[in-house]
Amino acid sequence: MNVILCGVGGNGVVLTTRIIAEAALRDGIKVRVGEVHGLAMRGGTVVSHLRLGSDAKGVLVPLRKADILLAFEPLEALRQMRFLKRGAKVILNNQTYVGVDAHLGLSKYPEVCDILEKIEAAQDIVDVPASRLAIESGSVIMTNVVMLGCLSASKELPISRDSLIDAIKSRVPPLMIDSNIKAFELGEKAFQDWEKNVVCQA
Amino acid sequence: MKKKSKILGGAGETVLLTGNEAVARGCLEAGMAVGAGYPGTPASTIMEKLGEVANELGFWAEFSVNEAVAFEVAAGSSLAGVRSLMSTKMLGVNLIADALTVISVTGVRGGLVIITADDPQQFSSQNAEDTRFFGMLAKVPVLEPGDGQEAKDMMKYAFELSEELELPVFFRITPRICHSSFAVELGEIRKPKRDGKFIRDPKRFVTISTYSRPRQPILHEKIARAKKIFNTNTWNRIYDHQNGKVFEKGSVYNTFGVIASGLTYPYVEEVLEATKINARVMKLATTYPLPEDYMVDFMSDLDQVLIIEENDGVTELQSRALAQRKRLNVRIMGKDDGLIPLSGELNPDIVGAAFEKLFGVKFQEDLTEPYLEAQELVSQRVPSLCAGCPHRSSFYALREALRRKGKGGAIMGDRGCYNQGAYEPLEGMDTCICMGASIAMASGLSHSGTKEPVLSVIGDGTFYHAGIPSLLNAVHNRSNIVSLIFDNSITAMTGHQLNPGSGVNLMGQHTGFANLKKIVEACGVEHVHVINAFDVEKLVETVMEEIDHDGVSVIISRAPCALVVERNIRKKKLKMHSAVVELDKCVGCKICMKKIGCPAFSWSNDPKPHLEILSHCNGCGLCVEMCPFGAISIPDRPDGVLGISIKKEVTK
Repeated sequence: MNVILCGVGGNGVVLTTRIIAEAALRDGIKVRVGEVHGLAMRGGTVVSHLRLGSDAKGVLVPLRKADILLAFEPLEALRQMRFLKRGAKVILNNQTYVGVDAHLGLSKYPEVCDILEKIEAAQDIVDVPASRLAIESGSVIMTNVVMLGCLSASKELPISRDSLIDAIKSRVPPLMIDSNIKAFELGEKAFQDWEKNVVCQA
Repeated sequence: MKKKSKILGGAGETVLLTGNEAVARGCLEAGMAVGAGYPGTPASTIMEKLGEVANELGFWAEFSVNEAVAFEVAAGSSLAGVRSLMSTKMLGVNLIADALTVISVTGVRGGLVIITADDPQQFSSQNAEDTRFFGMLAKVPVLEPGDGQEAKDMMKYAFELSEELELPVFFRITPRICHSSFAVELGEIRKPKRDGKFIRDPKRFVTISTYSRPRQPILHEKIARAKKIFNTNTWNRIYDHQNGKVFEKGSVYNTFGVIASGLTYPYVEEVLEATKINARVMKLATTYPLPEDYMVDFMSDLDQVLIIEENDGVTELQSRALAQRKRLNVRIMGKDDGLIPLSGELNPDIVGAAFEKLFGVKFQEDLTEPYLEAQELVSQRVPSLCAGCPHRSSFYALREALRRKGKGGAIMGDRGCYNQGAYEPLEGMDTCICMGASIAMASGLSHSGTKEPVLSVIGDGTFYHAGIPSLLNAVHNRSNIVSLIFDNSITAMTGHQLNPGSGVNLMGQHTGFANLKKIVEACGVEHVHVINAFDVEKLVETVMEEIDHDGVSVIISRAPCALVVERNIRKKKLKMHSAVVELDKCVGCKICMKKIGCPAFSWSNDPKPHLEILSHCNGCGLCVEMCPFGAISIPDRPDGVLGISIKKEVTK
């Protein structure tokens, strides 16, 4: 299984990837991770490739071979879409980061509805307000944990919930464990709510 | 409680480690006694990880002032018979070449391993040079691990090989090893043997030509021995792939071969599995000198061999020479044939494309309509200096001074995170070549007959690294330049490593501070100013004054790194005094954005077009000065120069 994680510097993409990788290791699943954070300053593109099981060969996922995209930012999701299989699940935090470069006209930030439309054309998208939910559970810093909750609830990963929670616990200060668990649960709930909504609409 | 370092896990445990952590663990398992390095992405964290455990395990770890010094430090301790490490990114190898080409002649005593991180994709480097040529130049063997487990295990082997041959050994990695994570099974940590003893042997270590000439044949003999060792060691392996499955070498028949060096082997494995192409594959880990007999044996059964390697076609070059010398009837293909690209890192798709061309198979999925349309909509984000970075203010002042002078002018830049200031809108640098080039190139420009002002910019870390000789030279040779030193007293770009201006070293020892102003004065510079980086007007005026002065002037523009300030604010639970915009006063002119382009700026059209300031603004106050309408302010800001009072408070 191939998972791509993406976002901008400051989102916690690298940490989140390592949490999933450590959880996989706990569950005895073969794992390899490739990361790009050459200039991972705040606001720069960050992407990591997580390879599980029999796909854990090289550290890079070939184009159009990824099963899941965990995206912390809409434009970054669009940027990585070329790695996805048709119909692959995209779990997207809908909080945009429009850099000052875009305000200055040095780069372009597309309309969010255009981004979503392009992704929906080929992927199974789950759109969650992870940043907002993280603030609800205490701090925007926990956006990544909300996203992990969503990913866990989607049952797309062959990794157990317990192992994910243990891996999170091993990475956060003891005082922050409770709020992180809350963030994780809010993420799970957000996913379930989305599923319900989709069913209702259908 | 301090968290236990990840590289200290117990023997037999399997843990998730980055390539850099695995390399550092390998050093521990080798019982390394002295490690010296200079930070450079992607290798910086190797020395950092070693520094975290050095006191506990009892070895010496340092960030040296530059790579040449780091290598000579490691060479010195190797001379005393202890295992020594030098760690750098590949550009640092350019600096060590002077010593390396001689140390290979004298040979080493304790194992001496040089980690070099090449960067074929140029994620964070100014070129894509290939260290293997330095191996050939200095006659120093080159090892290349293929994954994290090998990175750890082979590091231990590198020390053993160095001692066996009495030669330094290159350990070549790339960002895809350094920054990737692998499940690594740990071995025993060996207690560092730090019992150096110097034994005189001037005929070997004093390289006057009469002593060193007889040692040339010894060096050639060592490389011949390395070839023999590599013929039989187990790091190089051969497999036969047939119908997507992997077999022991020789168990199936193949006439097509692949040589995959370093971490490219899994890419080949993936392509062969998917395309079901049959091939005999050599995973090559010893890329200089080549294991000649082993390769001849491999190639003599084959009609064609495709060579897959990153950076330059170094293995290809040597393999062609070998095949010609041994009169092998084999077609060798690779970069020279255009099958493997000359530039950029490799990945499974690029390797797949080579097989597609050769065999007419299909590996890569097509990017069909929705995917192509998605790509069209995506544009690259343009990096910038961090919010609250003092370099933003300094660069703005430099350009403003030149603008007011109205005479054009050049700003010769140097290497550091201030490189981000070269982008629009600051455009604060006109050149950036290598560590320390700013001052010397400015000198040259000033002697060229140009009538325009010549300025230069260098950071404190880079000044200590390579700027001091250039400044001495500028004074000695009466250059007419204004040289700015951006002083944040830390090596910020690569992750805040400590430097001689920081007052603490990697071992955590408190040391003397380098006195930057006194160093500049001691170089013979008479016009020296130390100015708060956020005091824009004073900076502008001083730069203008010094442009009129004929001679060398130095302006030290000083303020702590914004990220250090932010971290201290968080640690000390202080309030972040972010700037706020008064909606009534903001006319939506975007002057602030166009002048300084701070990443804490955002924009809103509700209820009217106006500037918004994001929560990571640390209140440096530069934008307050930029706004002609007084629309930006910092509430509750302590008096004094903007943004500075809080900085004094947090950096005490």
